[in-house]
Parts: sequence; structure tokens; C-alpha cells
Amino acid sequence: MFAIFKREFKSYFSSPIGYVVLAVLLFLFGFFFYQILLYRISDLIASSVYGSMFTMCMMVIPIITMKSLSEDKKNKTDQALITAPVGVTSIVFGKFLAAFCVYAIAMVLTLIPSFIISLFSELSWGPVIGNVVGTLLYGAAMISIGVFISSLTESQVIAAISTFGVSILMIVIGSAGSIVNNSVVTQIVNWISFNTRYQSFTTGIFNISSVVYFLSVVAIFVFLTARKIESRRWS
Amino acid sequence: MIEVNHLTKRYGTNTALNDVSFSIEKGTIVGFLGPNGAGKSTTMNIITGYLSASSGTVTVGGFDILDEANEAKKLIGYLPEFPPLYADMTVREYLDFMYGLKKVKLPKEKHIKEICRLVKIENVYNRLIANLSKGYKQRVGIAQALLGNPPVLILDEPTVGLDPKQIIEIRNLIKTLGRNHTIILSSHILPEVQAVCERILIINNGTLVADGTPDGLSHDLSNDHSLIIRVDGPENEVLHAIKAMDHVVDVHSFGEKEPSVYEFAVEGEPNTDIRRDLFALMTRNGWPLLAMRNTDLTLEDVFLRLTSGAQGSFPKKGRK
Repeated sequence: MFAIFKREFKSYFSSPIGYVVLAVLLFLFGFFFYQILLYRISDLIASSVYGSMFTMCMMVIPIITMKSLSEDKKNKTDQALITAPVGVTSIVFGKFLAAFCVYAIAMVLTLIPSFIISLFSELSWGPVIGNVVGTLLYGAAMISIGVFISSLTESQVIAAISTFGVSILMIVIGSAGSIVNNSVVTQIVNWISFNTRYQSFTTGIFNISSVVYFLSVVAIFVFLTARKIESRRWS
Repeated sequence: MIEVNHLTKRYGTNTALNDVSFSIEKGTIVGFLGPNGAGKSTTMNIITGYLSASSGTVTVGGFDILDEANEAKKLIGYLPEFPPLYADMTVREYLDFMYGLKKVKLPKEKHIKEICRLVKIENVYNRLIANLSKGYKQRVGIAQALLGNPPVLILDEPTVGLDPKQIIEIRNLIKTLGRNHTIILSSHILPEVQAVCERILIINNGTLVADGTPDGLSHDLSNDHSLIIRVDGPENEVLHAIKAMDHVVDVHSFGEKEPSVYEFAVEGEPNTDIRRDLFALMTRNGWPLLAMRNTDLTLEDVFLRLTSGAQGSFPKKGRK
């Protein structure tokens, strides 16, 4: 698993993808951050900046995951992976971890502006950390879905667009919940919605059930991806 | 070392492999022949655990490829039809990666260097795989299969894309490796198989149609022991004289090959030797016999006969 992780992670940075993803995320973060600073309301920093970043991450994650497994299938390098003495789950998990690390680097680097601010004024770290943890968890869940989708197709474009579609769905499903006039449906929808889960972190509340929820999504999709790859042998 | 039992593979309604069984002892080099789409690559993919059979079992070194997959896969070095190379890595990075992936325990630097020397890729060691020529890519693929020195090597068309000199080198390498490895290789190049392999499996339309040594196959299938002769004499008279001989089933002329020299094909009855009588006949009539040879089947003939559909007339020996 470590060999696969290492290779994948390196490959993000041997092509421009890794750099572009980092640069775009950090640029947008910087922009939102600067905008908020102009309002001179430091209380808002965490929730509004990270709130906007949520949408940006949603758009960038499909780019990170699109080639994860689709490229292996297309270039037939999956033959080397599957015939090697490693389990399918560790192959998938290695791939997932590499994609997640690229994303996590971007998220951790977003702490730099907050850190600089904290040197000159009093910053409430609670919401900031809460937001970073929230985006990391949300990202992990979304990346596992993206990796799963990339295992379904040989085309990176199809993988990216489908992942994008799913990530939007996971957000708008929350607003659908508030429209429906049925408390059970609303509850279920809110329970599923990534957005609702994420919101609790933005206020600095470390909600265990949300943590468990996001990690379960990761586990389920890593599992499904492994099964999908195994099923190819039988087709 | 490798046991393949009643392997069947279906893709939907299409049967790619139909009840294929064979077993390969340790230390043999087996050639896998068959026309395109016969099921060679499918068989190799199943043995290496990349595909699963619809029914039947494969064990490698006593380990079932499905139930004890990791143990079995550790014993196998596999070069697929398209070498599984990552174009965005250098040869060095790629071999490092495969070394880690295969959980090889041998001393890393030394082992990788040794393999690079064997397949002669030292001079491209630090180059990007994307920029390598087909021949070098193929050799990197072979290097990857050799990592960890696995006792079983499965090579799907190992010499494709190589120049004639490299082909000879790789053949010699395979021969050398064959002393202490079990090797299955598939190829379209018949002389190659003949030169390298101790045993040949011919597969056609998903069934095993022949199994034996290269010489054995030629011998078994040449059941029409006919002779080609060249005689300096009048065509028609010679033809009639031969036809009148005992034990001659058929004779026909190929026409004039040299001035007043004619070539004939003479088919004798099975298990008879008519060469002496032919010689005597020619001497008696004063027609100098200039050449005589057996029409032993070459491996190519064997291959074409077994795979071109006219199968009914061949001995059942070696068939499953």
C-alpha cells in the first residue's frame, strides 16, 4: 500500500495537476481572506472564508480524483497492480490516501494567513481549526466518492464530471430537505447532506457523529471501489 | 509448479477458453502458440490472477490463485501483452516502485542494478519511460517481471518490438533463466518458440489442440510420409514407373525444375520405407536420381494445420 501511495502522490507532482490544484485553492483562499479583511470583522474570518472555500473544494476535488483509477485501467497498468501480491483494498486505499494528501496539503496551508493574523491580533482558533477539520473530513468523503467514480470509467473527463455532479447533489440535497413538508424526509435528507454535516464544524463545534459519518462514507466507498475492481475479473 | 485444471472463461455468450487443462513442471520453458484471439492472453491473465475463470482452478507452486492469491502472486513475474508502465516515471523510479509493490526482500540497489544489466537498460536508467522506444519499453517490462527473482515467469510475447539483435539477446536470456525458472511464453514467431521452448502448447478457439515437444509435434503430425525427389528423365515415363511401384499411394509431378530435370512428390503407404525401391527403380531405368528429401512438417506446418480448421485428420495424441 505504501508503494502505491508514494507513486500516486509523486505522480500528482510530476504532472502539473498537483501544483495547479494547490495554487488555485490557495489563490482563491487568499482572495476570500483578503476580501474579509477589508470588512475588518475578524469574527467572520473562519466561517465566511471557509464557507466560500467549501464551494471551491467541491470543484477541485473531481480534478484530483479523476485519474486515480481510470488512468490505470486505460494504460493497463492495473495489470501490474492486480497481479502484485497486494490486496485490492490496499491498492484502493493507497490511491485514496495519495489524493487526500494533495488536498490536505492545500487545506493545511490555508492556516498560514490565519497564523499571520494571530501574530498581530487576537484570533479565535476554535472556528478556524473546526473549519479546517471540517473541510478535511468533507474532502475525505468526497475524494473517496471521486475515487469510486474513477473506477467506473476509463475516461478521466467522465469521471471528473460525474464526481462534480455528485458533489453538487450532496450540497443541494440539503436545501431540498428544507422544502419538503415531511419531517421524516427532512431529517433523513439532513442526515445525508454533506452541507449540514459540515456546517456544525464552521462554528467550531466538534461533532462526533459528523466525524463518524464522514469517515463511514470513506470506508464504504473504499470498500465499494475495491469490490468494483475485483468484479472486473469476472466480467 | 503450475496446475491448470478445466479452465473455462466466458465473456457473455462468447467462450474464450473451453476446458483447458495442463500442468507444467518446475524448470521447463513452455511455449504458448495460437492465432490471434485464440485465448493465449486470457489464459495467462487467469494464471496470474488478473482475470478469474468462469470455472476451473489454477494453482501456482501449490497455492490457489484465488484462495491464496498473495502467496501465489509472489511466485510469479508477469509481463503482460502491453507492458504495464507508468509513462510519467523514470525507469529508475518505476523499478523502485515495482520493487516496493512486489514486496521484494532482496538487497534493493544491487538487485535492480543486476536486472538492468541482464536486460540491458542501464543506459536509459534515468530517462522518462514516456520517451523510450518500443524496444526499451518492452525491456523495462521484462525487467519488471524479473524483479524479486520469482520462480515462475509468464511472458506474453516478450520479443515484440525488439530488433533482431535484441531478440536473440532476450531469447538467450530466457534460455538462461529457464535453467532455474519455470517459464511460459507466448509468441507468434515460430522459430523463436522452437529455439527456446522445451514444450509447446497450441491453443485454438479456446481449446488446447496440441501439447508436446517441438520435434514430437512435427513427428506425430507428419503421418503422410511423402518424399520429394528430383529425377533427370522423361516426365511421363518416370511418373508411370513410380505409380507402378509397390506401396506407392500417390505421385504427382511439380514440373521441370532444371533443364530435363523434373520434381515429383511421392506418397508412400504409412509405415513403409520406399526410398531404396525408388533408388533401384531409377538406376534400373538409367534416370539419375538427383535429390530426395522427406517432407517433414515444420513447426509452421503443424501450427497452420492445427489452427486452420481442418482438424479431423490429426492424431488425438496430446489433445484434451
